Amino acid sequence: MPDPIIRTERLTKRYGRARGVDDLDLEVRPGEVFGFLGPNGAGKTTTIRLLLDFIRPTSGRAVIFGLDSRRDSRAIRRRLGYLPGELTLYESLSGVELLTYFAHLRGLRSIETGRRVAERLDCDLTREIKALSHGNRQKVGLVQALMGDPELTIFDEPTLGLDPLVQAVFFELVDELRTAGRTLFVSSHNLPEIQRICDRVGIIREGRLLAVESVSDLKRRALRRLELRFAEPVTAERFARVPGVHDLVVDGPFLSCVVTGSVDPMLRAALELRVDDVISHEPSLEEIFLAFYGTGATGGPPPESAPTPGAPGGTPGTPSEEVPHAA
Amino acid sequence: MLRSVFAKVVHDQWRMVLGWAAFSAVWPAMYVGLYPSIGALGELEKMLDQFPPAIREFFASASLDLSSPEGFLNMELFTFVAPLLILAYTVVVGGGATAGEEEKGTMDLLLANPIPRWRIVVEKSAAFVIGTIVIGIGMWIGAAAGAAIADVDLDLVLVGQAIGSVVLLGLALGGFALALGAITGRRWLAAGTALMVVIAGFFLNGFGALVDWLEPWRPISPFYQYIANDPLSNGIDPGNALVLVGWAVVGTAIAIIAFERRDLAR
Repeated sequence: MPDPIIRTERLTKRYGRARGVDDLDLEVRPGEVFGFLGPNGAGKTTTIRLLLDFIRPTSGRAVIFGLDSRRDSRAIRRRLGYLPGELTLYESLSGVELLTYFAHLRGLRSIETGRRVAERLDCDLTREIKALSHGNRQKVGLVQALMGDPELTIFDEPTLGLDPLVQAVFFELVDELRTAGRTLFVSSHNLPEIQRICDRVGIIREGRLLAVESVSDLKRRALRRLELRFAEPVTAERFARVPGVHDLVVDGPFLSCVVTGSVDPMLRAALELRVDDVISHEPSLEEIFLAFYGTGATGGPPPESAPTPGAPGGTPGTPSEEVPHAA
Repeated sequence: MLRSVFAKVVHDQWRMVLGWAAFSAVWPAMYVGLYPSIGALGELEKMLDQFPPAIREFFASASLDLSSPEGFLNMELFTFVAPLLILAYTVVVGGGATAGEEEKGTMDLLLANPIPRWRIVVEKSAAFVIGTIVIGIGMWIGAAAGAAIADVDLDLVLVGQAIGSVVLLGLALGGFALALGAITGRRWLAAGTALMVVIAGFFLNGFGALVDWLEPWRPISPFYQYIANDPLSNGIDPGNALVLVGWAVVGTAIAIIAFERRDLAR
């Protein structure tokens, strides 16, 4: 296997009492789109800022392109694009001016690549940034991140504030970059987004890496909340033993449950009766954590018994790719 | 345009600097221009003569002699107004040099570019030195214009040296503010603290002239280095100038070291 593009070794950042990241062992392979999934405040941005040498690790280290993230930060940044999470641009510059400025700082000959990306995103580079809406600023942020055609691009919550149409274009861009062999690191708190664009995903919560999984595995174990309304009252027993069904609640003709994996058995069972309505929800991140990693919304680190190899408490150096199977 | 961090600062600040330079030119022009027409000057001098010498010394670290335009300028312009005009710029801009971008949140974006941190400090400092000099030049032009219009016999070389001394004072405390900003990442904390040092330095120099036990401490005050040797009469003293340059250089060096080592605020 080729050397990883990003490798962190027990990377740790502590902020007094506040949580940073803890013993993070992560590998991002060349040419993959790696998702970094976790709720807000989980340590995604802290990790990214460690990678970029904006902040320094309390212990552990990160290696990018085989270079040390602290000592060789400048050489790393030469080959890297970055979209910050809380994006702030220079208000008094226009998009073109911003790109020109950064092109000079990066030693790029022109901003042509940037202009092409901007065209794709329908991003007006002539207006002053202070006159732009949040979504349009985000576009400028994406354009500056991609304008150098970097080997690695780090996106911190890239689609925040983008309208669905622009999001779709962004997903297209990601697919093209993947085809071109670029490596992308995408942080997000949005599972469908990660599933849509990523190859593998690292799941982080409260500063700890819970698991690293391939997105296809994650999809195979897809989690759905289903709500059904039947023509007549039903009993819970009827559905209790349907494969993949959890958290079953029945109230007269109303049924709600969580289904892991295929919804086919549940729907077949339901269709033996008369169904008036079906609603399917994307699960929240917390529901996923609960179902897959046995760790709920408020608790500290997951209990020892949780099926989470390579997760907190796991021995350092444990490969985190092992897939924890849902109970 | 926008070829470097330095160019970016120039792009952002040239209007402000020129505006401030123009504003700063008004004061010397006014004082010099009004000098011949202040009929009551003799009266003013008589009044000042009746002040206790201590008070006179406090307000004019140099000799008080209103019979010459230099003496008048020392009293009116160089004791207070000129340092204030320069320091208002250097302390605010120095304090915000790196801390401003950190607080606004643009520093992450800037530093994602392959540019070393020390270079951001150095380029921003360079732009700020030039800004300070431009404001000083504005003052000199103001004084020269005032002298020409009102036909006052003023030694413009010495005026230039006195303004040069103000510029060095500004750079000294601007360097201090720069260091504080780089250490804390907070621009108004840096500028505010530097301003307090300005005020303390002003009074240390003033009272040091009056209070025996304070006298040996006066050289700590940048104001002492700035004006105690009366640059308007004697020209800049190289030793004093060196001390002020030292403040600025040490401030910048501390800023570089602190900014290189620190976790950036967000």
